[in-house]
Amino acid sequence: MGCCYSLFCKDENSSQSGEPNERTHLLVDPVSNNTNIQRVNSEDILSRNLNNLPKKTDEQSALNRILQETATNVIDVAALDSHNLQQHEYVERMKMYNTKVQQVFATNKNKISKKLNSCILQDIPVPDKILSTEPISSDDINLITSSVAAAASAIQDIKVDHKEDLVVPFGLNC
Amino acid sequence: MEKNLDRVMEELLNKPGVYGCVFADHQGLCLGVKGKASTDSAGVIGAIAEQAAKLEPKSKMPIIHLENDNKACIIHRTGTVTGAVFKNVHG
Repeated sequence: MGCCYSLFCKDENSSQSGEPNERTHLLVDPVSNNTNIQRVNSEDILSRNLNNLPKKTDEQSALNRILQETATNVIDVAALDSHNLQQHEYVERMKMYNTKVQQVFATNKNKISKKLNSCILQDIPVPDKILSTEPISSDDINLITSSVAAAASAIQDIKVDHKEDLVVPFGLNC
Repeated sequence: MEKNLDRVMEELLNKPGVYGCVFADHQGLCLGVKGKASTDSAGVIGAIAEQAAKLEPKSKMPIIHLENDNKACIIHRTGTVTGAVFKNVHG
């Protein structure tokens, strides 16, 4: 533990001196920001334990300190994004985004309307009404299947009528 | 020759609402066209039928129904022949 922690101590010193290096924290440590836990070097704890009488309470407090130190060095990523959106926040954001989109559309109307005109597919106001209608009537099904079947059989009947010779003597005096 | 196909297309145009029809072969080449329809659309119609059939290869050949407020186009393939019927829609 002492060996491991010595890395953190170095890290701490270097970050305090303000020079960024490969051991500098990129993320702000949320736990150490929230809690005012004094970082204590584990070697201090060990030396203190050696100097004092090895009482059980001291051992317990030393363990607690180690636990706290570990906690200060852990970045809880899940806790960073714990803010849940409420229903009214969704609505507010939706309104805000809508107004933003309208603003962008108003300022770049010429550019955007050109692109919109080139698009064949367009938004329809009440899609559920159109989607709920019957896709195709049975009359149409009968019409298309019977006519295509009739056409297919008619095409089978297409054959070349032999009327005259394909090879014709051309400009030959027999 | 193609008299039979002509007759089939003639009958089709006499059906209520139908104003045009196109038939294409498996390569999208036009076999016949009657009424208000273009020979140029034969290739597109063949391609639509072919692509739609790929959606569910195990099912039988689909009927593709394209529709707007007043017109409809119905596409279907039987064997190698693809047919498209253009119709007026009322209501």
